Amino acid sequence: MDFSAIGAAASEALTLASFIGIGGGVLLGYIIGVIPGLSRSVAISIAIPMTFYMSPYIAISFLIGLSKGTAAGSAVSAILLNAPGEASSAATALDGYPMAKKGKPKTALQVGLIASVLGDIMATIILIFVAIPFARVALLFGPYEMAAILAFALVFIAGLSSGSLFKGLAAGGLGIFLGTVGLDNQTGLPRLTFGYTELMDGMPLIAVAIGTLALSEMFIQSEKLRLERTTMSVKLEHRPDDHITFPIFKRILPTILRGTGVGTFVGALPGLGPSVGSFMSYGMAQKASKTPENFGKGEPIGIAASESADNAVIPAALIPLFGLGIPGNVSAALLIGAFAIHGITVGPLLLRDSPELLYSIFAGMILASIIMFILGWFGLMVFAQITRVPPHVVIPIVIFFCLAGMMLQGYGTFGLVILMAFALLGYLMKKYDYSFVTFLVAFIITPMLELNLRQSIILSRGNWEILLGRPIALFFIVCTLLALIMLTLRTVRTGKPAAGAATD
Amino acid sequence: MKKTIVAILGATLLTAPAAMADDWPTRPLTMVIGFAPGGSTDIQGRVLANVMEQYLGQPVNVVNQPGGGSAVAFTRLANTAADGYTFLFGGTTALTFTPIITPVEYEIDDFEYLAAVALGQNAIVTAADQPFSTFDEIIEHGRENQMTYAQQTPLDEAIIRRIAEAEGLDLAIVPTGGGGGMAPLVLGREVDFAYSGGTHAQYTPTGEMVVAAFMSAERSPFYPETPTLMELGYDYSIEDYRTVIVPQGVPDEVKDRLIAAAEHASTAQAFIDITEGNTFFPVVFIGQDEMEDNVRRIRAATEEVMAD
Repeated sequence: MDFSAIGAAASEALTLASFIGIGGGVLLGYIIGVIPGLSRSVAISIAIPMTFYMSPYIAISFLIGLSKGTAAGSAVSAILLNAPGEASSAATALDGYPMAKKGKPKTALQVGLIASVLGDIMATIILIFVAIPFARVALLFGPYEMAAILAFALVFIAGLSSGSLFKGLAAGGLGIFLGTVGLDNQTGLPRLTFGYTELMDGMPLIAVAIGTLALSEMFIQSEKLRLERTTMSVKLEHRPDDHITFPIFKRILPTILRGTGVGTFVGALPGLGPSVGSFMSYGMAQKASKTPENFGKGEPIGIAASESADNAVIPAALIPLFGLGIPGNVSAALLIGAFAIHGITVGPLLLRDSPELLYSIFAGMILASIIMFILGWFGLMVFAQITRVPPHVVIPIVIFFCLAGMMLQGYGTFGLVILMAFALLGYLMKKYDYSFVTFLVAFIITPMLELNLRQSIILSRGNWEILLGRPIALFFIVCTLLALIMLTLRTVRTGKPAAGAATD
Repeated sequence: MKKTIVAILGATLLTAPAAMADDWPTRPLTMVIGFAPGGSTDIQGRVLANVMEQYLGQPVNVVNQPGGGSAVAFTRLANTAADGYTFLFGGTTALTFTPIITPVEYEIDDFEYLAAVALGQNAIVTAADQPFSTFDEIIEHGRENQMTYAQQTPLDEAIIRRIAEAEGLDLAIVPTGGGGGMAPLVLGREVDFAYSGGTHAQYTPTGEMVVAAFMSAERSPFYPETPTLMELGYDYSIEDYRTVIVPQGVPDEVKDRLIAAAEHASTAQAFIDITEGNTFFPVVFIGQDEMEDNVRRIRAATEEVMAD
């Protein structure tokens, strides 16, 4: 390890500007996390233009602080409103809301906060010690290895996130199809651009991401607002016995450790995302418990399991990003764009080319966790007030930010039309239960997979034997085939419903 | 504003515009950059905007319009009011090369090329730990061994393909999608040599990458030992000029003000420091007459190379 770089990094991490930048990121993330319907990826997309005038280190730490803040903040609305601020906090609501209703909202919020912060710090430490060895071997990952890993990620994510195989194939297929739009990267000839100069570089990622994730969610929220005008908010009162105690902390600690492990593993695999992590962790906690019947009725262990995993995913998703240049999930993919804006290519060469920047970012991430704890602990009651902002105020503001964010991309009216088209697509996909996660991941992976596969075929001059000297590539090809076989077997076993879905 | 003009009077005397033009500009200007923020064009453009702003006395706002290697930005510019308030800064390949292979809605005559302030840097690079480091050694090695080359545009591919055919090389050419994708391939020795449009500036100072030859018409002052392809006896070059470009039909006195601002920038220390120090692009000043000729000459030469 380069100690002079670490020293320089620590001194940059402790400047006033970085405190303000990171603290601001965490605070903004926390607020956005609390508001139901405003997701992490929306927060990052909106915040990227704000970072234009920051130094690369503060910009990236600001955005990572923002992600961390959303993960912690989303627990607040899950517990108090039974409306998770993020999909990944849905598991938190299972026990958090009953606990709050039983008169212990503050305890529930504190359990959630401690689990979030501990999961976050431990996963950040794992990132620091895993991302670096990863980066050292990263030049072993040539086009063959990348193509194999990307193919594996595509199949694996599609298999996890879709209930019906056919709906999953439809969503993934559409993502792959739209991912091929743009100039051919070798001959420069236009593909499916229909004469639109704006499509030469492909469908704009920001339009696809904001449209399918954020704007479509606003459509759904407005619809809900019209149909159900009820409020489910829990009243916050000051009760002397309503706070976390040491026995409770001791009881939840082993769960937090396991949740961190699960979250880190899920985060490190490209494409899985925090929802998988928090639900997996919740399920494991319930299986391990001696009193599983208490789950769903206000069990603090349930909150701790979900929140620790949810937060651990965020730093862990940076392991493949810093080690291999592959985004672990949508938020990490948006971070690649943010890095690019600041002239930095994320990936294996980052550690070698700008170690100081990388160590500064690590230091900034630890700082973000600490700020998050302080803000969360002392601001708990204040943040809880945000849940009272009525949706008819939130929704128009978010729609405005989505449109403004797209205009900033420089695509003009064309960009807005594309954005609206993808919002409609996202709305329909959510309504008819097609996995928009599969769609989006396929859309993001396709251009990378195409380029690497093409490079592999040309460089090998068509000899597949070259793979025998490429054990990492071979390993992932075998994994991809196994994943395909298991997916097929699972569909055959539960063949009836899948076939039914196809003929609907 | 008056004060600024007095301060740079010396520089203005040579290209003194008509008296009435001193009033121009009266509102903020927009500089369009055809690439995403962070690349070499963007970095140079932002400093240029800053320096021009001091000269013109009005803010110069930078707008990034990435897409199709500036084709999107040129399409927009062609449809912008020719009042000089909106101009583009960037390379000329979207005019000299892109229209040859891709249908676009603009042509060379839609624009005026006011002034070039930096010379594009197109190079052939290889990794330092390869058994060859000069272009001749690459060719020599290629006569005995199968070789691989990483391209970034169909133009550099066409040139290298012709040289490979002439020299009898067995060459496989892969796409990279840009300088960021090229570097790991070269440094990981997945390819033997590659095209670089300027990315090499990040890797040659550490000694990991070497420039085997320049594709530009002239040697780079930053690599004085490295020859150009022309000097090596291959009659090909990729010329690119970082130019201030406006739509056709801007009034003469306005053009003169913009040209004077660009000339001022080419002597401004801030612009020279960033452009030469950070991006390794030589700063120059080439006026409108020469640039109009350059763009048309390069286009004709490129059409010849791409003919088959």
